[in-house]
Amino acid sequence: MEPPHLLDLVRRGDELAWEAFVRCFQGRVFGLAYHYTAQAEDARDLTQDVFVRIYQNLTLVPDETGCLPWIIRITRNACIDHLRRRKARPPLWDLAADELFDLRATDQNPEEAHLEAVRRSMLHRALEELTDLNREIILLKEIQGLGLEEIAGILDVPVGTVKSRSNRARLELAQKLTAAGMGG
Amino acid sequence: MDAPHRPPFTPEVPLDLTQAILARTSGSPCQRLQDQACAYVDGELDDSRASLVQAHLAHCPACAALVGALHTSQRLLPTLADADPGPWFTQRLLRATVHRPATSTWWRLMHRPRIALEAAYLGAAAGLLGTYLPMPNLPLKVPAMVQPLGASAQRVVGQVIQVERRASTSLRQSWQPRPAAPASPSLWQRIKARLRRWLPFFRQAAPRPAAVPEKAPPPANP
Repeated sequence: MEPPHLLDLVRRGDELAWEAFVRCFQGRVFGLAYHYTAQAEDARDLTQDVFVRIYQNLTLVPDETGCLPWIIRITRNACIDHLRRRKARPPLWDLAADELFDLRATDQNPEEAHLEAVRRSMLHRALEELTDLNREIILLKEIQGLGLEEIAGILDVPVGTVKSRSNRARLELAQKLTAAGMGG
Repeated sequence: MDAPHRPPFTPEVPLDLTQAILARTSGSPCQRLQDQACAYVDGELDDSRASLVQAHLAHCPACAALVGALHTSQRLLPTLADADPGPWFTQRLLRATVHRPATSTWWRLMHRPRIALEAAYLGAAAGLLGTYLPMPNLPLKVPAMVQPLGASAQRVVGQVIQVERRASTSLRQSWQPRPAAPASPSLWQRIKARLRRWLPFFRQAAPRPAAVPEKAPPPANP
């Protein structure tokens, strides 16, 4: 079912439609929150907060194709708020969480799945080494698949800047992957 | 008679010859390739430009590795968009949302944690204000709910009502505008009054001019 129709049902109080809506977008929201926080537990809490916020503001969710960019925008805002709070009051523990890659169920054989998980883990580490703006552009454009204008609106920068920065960020990421032995 | 077929002369080209020539002419083309690498990976280059890039990649392992990494990231990055938050995540999330009714702004406003404190404050303020307002001057009438209690109870309630009325009446009188008090004299007026009071003293104390002796009449001629 398409998100606009789902939203219509959710607004009428259909709990099954809300569950379908949550299952439709929770992976995207959790993935984005994980890339910002690098902590699976923090990303889960943030994802919950984002969906609670969506549920409380159902009238504000755009009906048409702007639904996903709107969700990504409020997820990004929630993540940035969380990172600011964490910077002000850092947690007692700050372990790198790699369990994200173990949670996904794949149809590959174990060896391929392990190699894929290693590649994704290296890619994630290379992403963490990018500058903030480059990482955000990669997150929004290459990972979440948003358009240049939507990204420019979210980051509040001109479209031309997003385009040029995007190529530069991809090259920087490729250079880091090459240095890590993932080129070719 | 045909000449014997000879293979064409293909001398062994040293690997670094091209690099040496480029170094002495246009410089390394790797920077130019990096400018076009993303467009090449995205398939946005036309055929002639793409063949030039491929020809460079065939001889430049560093650029080939870079383009390979671009291909790898292009393939893997979209798979990072969707992550599994865990087996019980959806159930927890639905518990956190579905049992809450879709709420309006007014509903959320009334369910803030401090709403009880604010309501108590407003109630106390309204009570105080009501206590200080004057009671209307109505004829004494004991409420009907007290009448079955007997004469003594009616007397007590009547006294309470009278006390309340007296208090409110005195309060109302205290709110009546008072006659305007005479304006206090200004500083200059006070100084002038002081001076006026001291003026006789100054007049008495001031030294009088010495009296001029009257000339004695000239002696008469003898």
